[in-house]
Amino acid sequence: MITLTHFLVVSACIFCIGLYAVLSKRNAIMILVGIELMINAAVLNLVAFGRYDKVNYGGQVFALFAIVLAAAAVAVGLAIILNVYRKYKTINPDNITDLRD
Amino acid sequence: MRDLLTISPVSMSILVVLLPLLAFVIQAILGKKSTSGMISLIAIAASTLISGGFVFTAVWDNPTISTTYNWFTIGDKTFTIGILLNNLSVLMQFIVCIIALPVHIYSRSYMKGDPGIHRYWMYLSLFCFAMLGLTISKNLFMMYIFWELVGFASYLLIGFWFTKEAAVQANKKAFLVNRIGDLGFLIGIAIIFSTFGTLDLVDLFGTDGFFAQGIDKNTTWMTVAGIAFFLGAMAKSAQFPLHVWLPDAMEGPTSVSSLIHAATMVAAGVFLLSSIFPLFNETVLLIIAIIGTITALSSAFFALGQYDIKKILAFSTISQLGYMMVGVGIGAWDAAMFHLTTHAFFKCLLFLCAGAVIHEMAHLKAHENQEFDPQDLRNMGGLRRYMPKTFTLMAIASLALAGFPLTSGYLSKDAIVITAWEWALHHGGLYLIIPVLLVVVSILTAFYIGRLIFKAFFGEFRLKDLNVTHLHEAPHAMLIPMLLLGIGALFFIFSWNPLSYADAGILQGLSVAYPFAEIHALHVIIPIILTCGSLIAWWIGWRWYSKGSYPLNPHSRWIQASLNQGYLNELYHKTFVESTLALAQISYWFDRYVIDGLVNFSATAVRSLSTFSSWIDRYIVDGFVNTVAGTTYYIGHLLRWIQNGRLQNYLGFAFTVVLIGIIYLIIR
Amino acid sequence: MEEVIFYAFAALAIGSALLVVGLKNTARALFLFFIVLFAMAGLFLFALADFVAITQILIYVGGVLILMIFAFMLSNKELLADLQHTSARFLSLPNAQSLLLVLGFLGVMLYGIAEWQENTPYWITENIRRGNIIQPTDNNINQLGVKFMTQYVLPFEVVSIFLLMALIGAAHLSRKEEDR
Repeated sequence: MITLTHFLVVSACIFCIGLYAVLSKRNAIMILVGIELMINAAVLNLVAFGRYDKVNYGGQVFALFAIVLAAAAVAVGLAIILNVYRKYKTINPDNITDLRD
Repeated sequence: MRDLLTISPVSMSILVVLLPLLAFVIQAILGKKSTSGMISLIAIAASTLISGGFVFTAVWDNPTISTTYNWFTIGDKTFTIGILLNNLSVLMQFIVCIIALPVHIYSRSYMKGDPGIHRYWMYLSLFCFAMLGLTISKNLFMMYIFWELVGFASYLLIGFWFTKEAAVQANKKAFLVNRIGDLGFLIGIAIIFSTFGTLDLVDLFGTDGFFAQGIDKNTTWMTVAGIAFFLGAMAKSAQFPLHVWLPDAMEGPTSVSSLIHAATMVAAGVFLLSSIFPLFNETVLLIIAIIGTITALSSAFFALGQYDIKKILAFSTISQLGYMMVGVGIGAWDAAMFHLTTHAFFKCLLFLCAGAVIHEMAHLKAHENQEFDPQDLRNMGGLRRYMPKTFTLMAIASLALAGFPLTSGYLSKDAIVITAWEWALHHGGLYLIIPVLLVVVSILTAFYIGRLIFKAFFGEFRLKDLNVTHLHEAPHAMLIPMLLLGIGALFFIFSWNPLSYADAGILQGLSVAYPFAEIHALHVIIPIILTCGSLIAWWIGWRWYSKGSYPLNPHSRWIQASLNQGYLNELYHKTFVESTLALAQISYWFDRYVIDGLVNFSATAVRSLSTFSSWIDRYIVDGFVNTVAGTTYYIGHLLRWIQNGRLQNYLGFAFTVVLIGIIYLIIR
Repeated sequence: MEEVIFYAFAALAIGSALLVVGLKNTARALFLFFIVLFAMAGLFLFALADFVAITQILIYVGGVLILMIFAFMLSNKELLADLQHTSARFLSLPNAQSLLLVLGFLGVMLYGIAEWQENTPYWITENIRRGNIIQPTDNNINQLGVKFMTQYVLPFEVVSIFLLMALIGAAHLSRKEEDR
């Protein structure tokens, strides 16, 4: 029997891997990949919980919403990355330090 | 102001004062462009005319006229300036004018060609302005201002030839000695002001002033005030201990000397004492009389041994001023003023004659290219043949000085001597020394002036190797003023009776009531004694100097003492100058080693203290500050590292905080 | 049997994800990301969300991933170097600080899951008791269509507009500089 806990543990692992990618990768596209991983972990959680709510179907509905939003985010994010690349000729976020004091 | 615009004696007297000032200002503006002296001459001539025509005639023997204007107010004390016209002041003003006029005329010829002549006319006008202002001052404070101006102008004139070292020393000396007197005057003013609250001469000494109401004059303060004022007069009028500046003042031009001696500078002291006469009590008056006697005697003695023609005249002036002081001291200030007036004429004449002689001698010196002192009597002799008119005038003036009958000097000197006898007989005892000494001085006066005349004008010219044909009479521009003054040296100007001074207009005009009885016998005896004494003195002098049978050893102690003016200058040098120098030395030493030492010590102490505090500052205070700053810098640096602009770091920090928050919530 | 497959999918997803973050070569990492997404889709099936799994594959694999590879190829001038440069190290060194933080999060979450297991939320137990849970036999697509058009019509429309806005914005951002 596959319980809710199984899904939660897997999703926690995926989320943490995504977080690691976001924090440590030196490439903007890989950071975007990390974000997608985290969203996927969240979607897995929504789907897992959604199984116990047949009346509203909230889990699956919002999972779909999340996927759609993630797709939009990816589109916008990639556009930004392209622009950044045009301006700085690099997509390594370490080299883009305009926010520095 | 209306009374200023009309022809009133007050406005006219102000005009008399202001004309020389105007001349001074114009001369100062024109500078070297005007060297003729016409401006000053016209100003003083106009002053003389106005003074004689509108002021003197209008005021003499009339009630006192005075005008007061408020000047400034300090607190509730209002200081005034004003014009006081009474017999005394208009007489004095008229004398100043009438003496200054011939001096101006004489100067045009005497000073001709001097490179600094524009300054000469400037100073001369300033001098006249100051003296004329002094005469009509109504207020002691105003009088003091003019008094100082007189001193200042005389300083300028004595040092006129300022390239001569002796002239510079002389005017410095005159200025310093006069300072002493000015200090006395100022103290006197201060005492008067603190006692009465006013400096107005009318309020103080008028017919219903403080002193006329019979206040107690015998207090200590009044004595001190009297002595202070007398000190001022002593310095200005060259009385005994302070007379040393006057012989040295001969370094100035002779015409200036005549003005200083006759009417302006030295007369100011006597005039001051006469103006404030009611102030003096018995003690002060006695001191004045004693000082006057000492002055008269000592300077007559000093005059005996001098060889410089101007120095003899200078000492004779001091001697005559001593007479005037005695006159004030015995209460007969009218006689003093009378003597001042007559003396002004004949002393001025004497100086102008001496100036003419010196002028000719200097010309001779320049012509023959010889080195000799043109003022030294020993270089003269027999000048009577070359300068007869000068000789005549000088002889008249000398007779007046000696008090010979038919001259003005006879009247005024007898007035003083006879009054002194009456005063002494009234008091009796030791007081008799004063009139006896006055008689002796009178005979000495006849002797030394006789010596001057005999040595300069009789006998043979002493510089045998010079061509004496170049000696000739003084120019007319110099002779005319001398002639005018010569008339003034005769009796009829002052009194129609040549033998009795009682009829003199000036004495009647001033009309002082003596507190002692008149003794008629003296009016006969004293003139006879004086005249006989003078004749004997002249006979001796003629024998000694003219005939060349000089019996005395010129190196005897007495003659040397007389020549060296009683070693007074040396005494002053020893006492005052050297003690001042010694004090300066001591002060220097004290300053050098005690004060400087103290300063250096404190400097060292402060320096070591500052080194110490610098150490504290550097290592403790700064150390603390630096530690704080360093810590802050380090923390700032640490935090700065956070703000590195890397998005991932920001995100990492954010998640770290979230993690810490969650852990806190779990373990809580 | 069912659990074996679940564990296999889970292992595939986690392992691929680890490789995604661990690989130095970006191109390889991106292709490994396909595997992760497929494995995740498989996991969705175990949660009885077949439509979500389909959508995941359609959108992510068909759209997002293609987009990413495009962007990667357009942007990364080091791509060729990356592709040609066979690095001595296959994996990149782990970033110590990030690793620490991530492990901390993982620990916290696992601790939370363990704690949570003992008191299951009330609504879950209530729904289980009533039998109100999705069964493998249910027609999910039909149900989802009805729910979208009835109960969730407002969020659906908002998301639609949002998607449109995002697409327009992306197009605007990524157009050439010279066009302005």
